[in-house]
Amino acid sequence: MYRREFLSHATGIVTLPALIDFAGSRRTAVLDLQENCCLRESVAGYSAVLADVDRAARRSVLIVPAAGRIPERAIHRMVASMQAGGIVILESGAAFASEQVLRAHRDTLRESFAVRVSAPVRLWPRRTPYVDYTWPVATKVRDFSRAMPLDQPAGETIGFADGQPVALRRQVGRGTFIFLGSPLGPALWAGDREANRWLREVVRS
Amino acid sequence: MKKAIGDNMIPREWGLERGLELIKQAGYDGIELWLGDVPWFQMATSDSDVRALRRNVENAGLVVSNVSTGLHWATPLSARDPAARAQATHIVERQIETAVMLGTDAVLVVAGLVTEEVPYNEVYQRCLEALQPLGDKAARAGVKIGCENCNSEQRFLISPREFSQFLNDVGSPAVGIHLDVGNIHDTGFAEQWIELHGPRITRIHLKDVLKHRGRCGDQSVYTNLFLGDNNWPAIRAALTKVRYDGWLVAEMEARYRYAPDQQFYDTAKAMDRFIAGRL
Repeated sequence: MYRREFLSHATGIVTLPALIDFAGSRRTAVLDLQENCCLRESVAGYSAVLADVDRAARRSVLIVPAAGRIPERAIHRMVASMQAGGIVILESGAAFASEQVLRAHRDTLRESFAVRVSAPVRLWPRRTPYVDYTWPVATKVRDFSRAMPLDQPAGETIGFADGQPVALRRQVGRGTFIFLGSPLGPALWAGDREANRWLREVVRS
Repeated sequence: MKKAIGDNMIPREWGLERGLELIKQAGYDGIELWLGDVPWFQMATSDSDVRALRRNVENAGLVVSNVSTGLHWATPLSARDPAARAQATHIVERQIETAVMLGTDAVLVVAGLVTEEVPYNEVYQRCLEALQPLGDKAARAGVKIGCENCNSEQRFLISPREFSQFLNDVGSPAVGIHLDVGNIHDTGFAEQWIELHGPRITRIHLKDVLKHRGRCGDQSVYTNLFLGDNNWPAIRAALTKVRYDGWLVAEMEARYRYAPDQQFYDTAKAMDRFIAGRL
C-alpha cells in the first residue's frame, strides 16, 4: 500500500471505487470514482451505453468518467488493465472541481500517467459547440463548456477544441491509454449519436 | 376566479407597505411574491421574516397567491455545472418551504434554459431528473410546482403537446404548468394551451402580446391586457371549458412612464372585465 493510500484509508477519505460491469460480459467496465467523480451524468452516460458498445469490444476496456481526485486503487486498476493489453479511457472532470481537487488531479496525471494539462478553460462563447476528434474516427461531439487542454501532449493528439489539444492516445506496453480533457460522458447521457459512435469505434480498435 | 399581481411590479421607491396598500386599493385579492427579485423576499430572508411578510400581506387585506422566482434565469435547473444545479434545486426547495409559511399552495419555476451552449436534450433530461424528486417534496408539503411556459425566452417546450409530454415524463401530480397566456407569441394560441393542459394548470399569468412584432430585436412584445393580439374571448371561454377557477396573476412589464400606480388600477379593471366575460 502506498503511503498516500494508507493515509487516505486511515482518515477514511477514499472509498473503494465501484466497478459497473455490463452483465454477461467482462470486456467493458466503468470505474465509478463515486465522491471523486465530478459529473454524475458522465457515469450515467457511459453506463447507459455499456451494453451496446460491449458487443463491439475486442479487448478489455476500462472507462473512468469525470475524474477529480484519483485514488491510488483506481490508478492501480488502470495500470493493471493496460498491462493486460486493455484500453483505459480516463476522462477528466476536474474543470468542474475545486482548486484543491484540481491541483491533486493535475499532480496525479503528471506523476502516474505522464500527462500534463494546463489550467481549465471555459470554452464559451465560441463559434461552434463541438470537440473535433480525429481518432479512431473523425467526428464532432458536443463540448461540455469547460475543458482541460493538454500541455505538450506526450502521445498522439486525438481531439481538439478551438485548435487546442484536449484528448490524447498513447500506447502503454500492450495497452492503450486515452485521456479526455473534455467530458464525453454527458453527451452520451444526452443521447449524442456521434459520441456513441466514437466510443464504439474506440472499443473496436 | 381571484386577481393577483406581482410584488415585483411595485415601484422600487415605494417599498412594500405602500405597495400592498396600492394593490388592495386597486381591487386585487392577492399578491404574487417573487423570491429573490424584491428586497423584502430574498433567499437569505429568515423564516421569521417570511412569517412577518405574510402578516404584512394579511394586514393589508390580501393573501399570497403563489411564490415565484426569476432566480432560475441565472441559475437554471438545467445548468451543466453540478454546483449551479444544486443551487437551482435549493431555490425551488426554498420556494416550497416559504409557500407553506406564506399560506399558499403553488410555486412558479422556470424549468430549464436552452442556449447555444447547453442543448435541448441535456436540458430536457436535467429538468426531469431535478423535478422528479422536487415533485415528491412538493407533494409532501401540499404544494404544486407550476413550470412556466416561457416559450421564446427558454427556447424549451415550445408546443403544448411537447409540454404535456414533459409533464407526463416528470410523472408527478405535484408538477403542473403555470400557464402564461402572453408567452406563447406567434407559436400558437393561449386558448389551445388552456384546453390541452386543463387540470394541470396551477396558476395563470395574464398579459397581452404583440404577436407580429417578433422577438429578434430588443423591443418587448408584451403589453397590457386588451392592447395586444391575444384572443381574450377565446381565452376566457377556454378557462370556462376546463373549469379553471383559480388565481389570475397579472404579470405585466412596467409600461407606464408616468403615474406607475395607474397600471395597477387599469390592469385590475381589465381583469374584472375579463373575469366577467364582458369582452
